[in-house]
Amino acid sequence: MKKGNKIISIFVLAGMILSAASALAGEIRIGITMRMVSENGQKYGQMVMDEIDLINQAGGINGNQIKATLMNDECKSDKGVANANKLIFQNKIHLLIGSTCSSVSLPIVDVTAKAEVPQIIPHSTNGKITQKGSAWVFRVPVSGRYYAGVNAKYVGENIGMKIAYICAADAASQNDCDAMQKQMRMQHGAEPVYVAQVQEKEVDFRTHMQKIKSAGVDGIMVAALAETMARALVQSYEAGIGPDVRRIGSSSASNAPVPKIAGDAVKGVFYAAAYSDADTRPVARLFNEMVRKRYGIHAPDHDFSQAYDLIRIVEIALNNAKVSLTSSSLKADRAAIRDAIAGIRNYQGLASGPISFCSDPSPVCRDGNKTPVLIAYTKGGEQYETEILARVTMPIDFGL
Amino acid sequence: MEFDFNSLFAFIIFGVTIGVVYGMVALGISLIYSGLDIVHFAHGEIYMFGAFFGLVLAKDMSIPYPAALIGAMILAGLMGMLIERVFYRRLTRSGGGYTVAGMGMIICGFGMSVALMNVAFLIWGADAEPFSIDLGMPLQIADIYIPQSYLLTAVVSFALMGLLHFFLKYTKIGLAVRAVAQNKDIAYLMGINVPVFISLIFGLACALAAAAGVLIGPMQSVQVEMGYLMLMKAFAAAVVGGFGSLPGALLGGILVGIFENLGAAYISPSHKDIYAFLLLILVLMIRPSGLFGIEAKVKA
Repeated sequence: MKKGNKIISIFVLAGMILSAASALAGEIRIGITMRMVSENGQKYGQMVMDEIDLINQAGGINGNQIKATLMNDECKSDKGVANANKLIFQNKIHLLIGSTCSSVSLPIVDVTAKAEVPQIIPHSTNGKITQKGSAWVFRVPVSGRYYAGVNAKYVGENIGMKIAYICAADAASQNDCDAMQKQMRMQHGAEPVYVAQVQEKEVDFRTHMQKIKSAGVDGIMVAALAETMARALVQSYEAGIGPDVRRIGSSSASNAPVPKIAGDAVKGVFYAAAYSDADTRPVARLFNEMVRKRYGIHAPDHDFSQAYDLIRIVEIALNNAKVSLTSSSLKADRAAIRDAIAGIRNYQGLASGPISFCSDPSPVCRDGNKTPVLIAYTKGGEQYETEILARVTMPIDFGL
Repeated sequence: MEFDFNSLFAFIIFGVTIGVVYGMVALGISLIYSGLDIVHFAHGEIYMFGAFFGLVLAKDMSIPYPAALIGAMILAGLMGMLIERVFYRRLTRSGGGYTVAGMGMIICGFGMSVALMNVAFLIWGADAEPFSIDLGMPLQIADIYIPQSYLLTAVVSFALMGLLHFFLKYTKIGLAVRAVAQNKDIAYLMGINVPVFISLIFGLACALAAAAGVLIGPMQSVQVEMGYLMLMKAFAAAVVGGFGSLPGALLGGILVGIFENLGAAYISPSHKDIYAFLLLILVLMIRPSGLFGIEAKVKA
C-alpha cells in the first residue's frame, strides 16, 4: 500500500471510530429483557417503554436522552442470557432491567456480575437472586421469603396445619413452595400432608386432587405460573374438594389469567403480592385508571405496578448518578448508576411498602420491598375483584 | 397414602377419559401412517387448531357445544386436506417410509408444526383461553366426583371411533380408503382416485385430532402450546398399540392414560409424564411391533 493510501485509511478509520463514539455518547442506554408472550406481558413491556418516552419528552435525565432497547426472553433462560449478552456487549448498555421470570433472572445475575453492569429486577421473586451476593443486582419486588412468611402466618392462624402443596417446576414456584413449607415448619411445626412436583405447564391435576381429597386437608397451596394455577384450581373443584378447603396461591395468583381462566374457582383464593387493585390510596386509584385507559386492562396486577415503580426508581437513580456518558466512561458510568440505585431510600410508590436499597451485596440491602400484602379474590372471571386481607412489613432479615 | 378402591376407581376413570383423547390423536397419526406412509409431526398443532376452532365457534359465535364440535372437525378436516394438497403431496408422491422423500416429509412435518404454532400465536396470542361449558353437576359415585365433561369426552370419543370403524369396514368409500392404505398402486389400477383418497384420509385424521382438542378444552383450557405434549403421548399410544393399527391406537391411548394416572397415584406424583414413555419402552422390549402391530411390515 502506498504511503498516501495508508494515511487516508488511518483517517477514515479514526473518523469511523470517532463518529461511532459520538453516537454512543450523551445518551443513557438501558436494556430491557422481559417475558412478553402473554397479552399482559406485552402491555407492561409497552408501559415501561411509554414511561421512558415520557421521561425523554420531558427533557430526559439531566439533559440526556434515554435510549431503551426492549427484548422478549419468553421466560426462557437461554433467551434471557442471550438478550443480556447482546445488550451488554453489543448495545453497551448502562443498565439492565429484567427479567420477569426468576428462572431467567437467576442466570442473568451471573452475566451482569461478571460484566459489571447494574441489573434491576422488576418481577422475579426467587430468594436466590439476591442471595448470590452480586454487587450489581437490585430487586424491586417483594422476595419470596417475605411472601412465605405472611402466607404461613395467616394459614396457621386462620386455616389449619394440614396443607397439601402442588409445586410447578419453574424457579419462582419452586422457591415459593419450598419457602412456604419451611415457614409452616418454623412458625407452626407443621409438616406438609402432600407434596407434588408438577411440570411448569401441567394440564392434568386430577390424580393429585383425588389424593388430596382423600387426605382431608385444611388447605391446598398451588405454586405455579398463572395458567397452570388456574387449571389446578378448576380441577380441585371438579374433584369434589369443597370451598371449606382454602386454596393458597403463589404470588403469580395476582396475574389476570388466573381469575380469567379459573372463573368462579378463584373465589376465596388468597395470596401474597406486592400490589392490589383494591388498594384505596389515591395514587393506586389513579394508576388503575391510567392502566385501564392506556392499555385496556381491567385491573392492573403487581407486575404492572412493579414495572411502573421500577421506572420511577431508575429515573431517581439516573438523576442522582454522576455520569459522563462518553465512550471511555462506560465502566465508571455503570458503577455510578449502581451506586445511585443503592442510594435509594424509602421510595414510596405503588408498592405495598417503601422500597429501600443499600450498598452491601446481600439480600438485606438488595431486596427493596419488604411489605407483602395479603389479597383474596372475591369474584372470578374477566371482571374479577379482590380484597385486601392484611399488609405486613417484615423484618429485613426475615427468612434468611 | 392408604389404599382404597374408591380412589383406584377414580384413577382408572381419569385414565380412561384422558386415554381416549390420546387414542383419538393416535388414531389420526396411525391413519396418516397407514395411508401416506409418513409420521405426521404437526398433528399436535392440528389438535391445537381444532381446539381453537371449537372455542371460537362455541364462545365467540355462541354456537352450541355439540355443533361447535362438529364444526371444528369439519374446519380442521378441510384445513388438513389443504395442507396435504398444497404442502405434502409433492413429497408423498415421491414415496414415504425410508426414502429420501420420506425423510423430507418428516422434516416438513416439523416445519409445519412450527409454522402452524406461529400462525396460531398471531391469531390467538399466547394466553390460555378458558373453554367453559355448563354440563351440570358432576356425577357422584360413592366418594368420587366425575364431571360431566369427562363422561362426555369418553362417550363422544368412543362414538367417533365406532363411526370410523363402521365407515372403514362397512362402506364402499371405507373399503377404498383401506385399499389405498394397503397398496396405492393396486388401488389405482382398481380405478380408485388415490390422491383424492389420500386427502380424505388426511382430512379424517385431522378431524379426529380436532375432536380431541374440542373435548379436552373444557378440562384443560386452550392455548397454542397445547399440542406438543399431546403429540408425545399420542405417539406413545400409537407405538404401544402398534403403529398403523387403528384399534391398537385406541387401546394404546387408554393404556397410556391409565398407566400414567396409576403411576402418578401409587409411585410418584411428580413424574406423571414419564410413565407413558416407561410403558412405551416396556411394550417395545416385550413386543417391538406394539400390541396390535404386524411383526414385519413392509410399506408399499
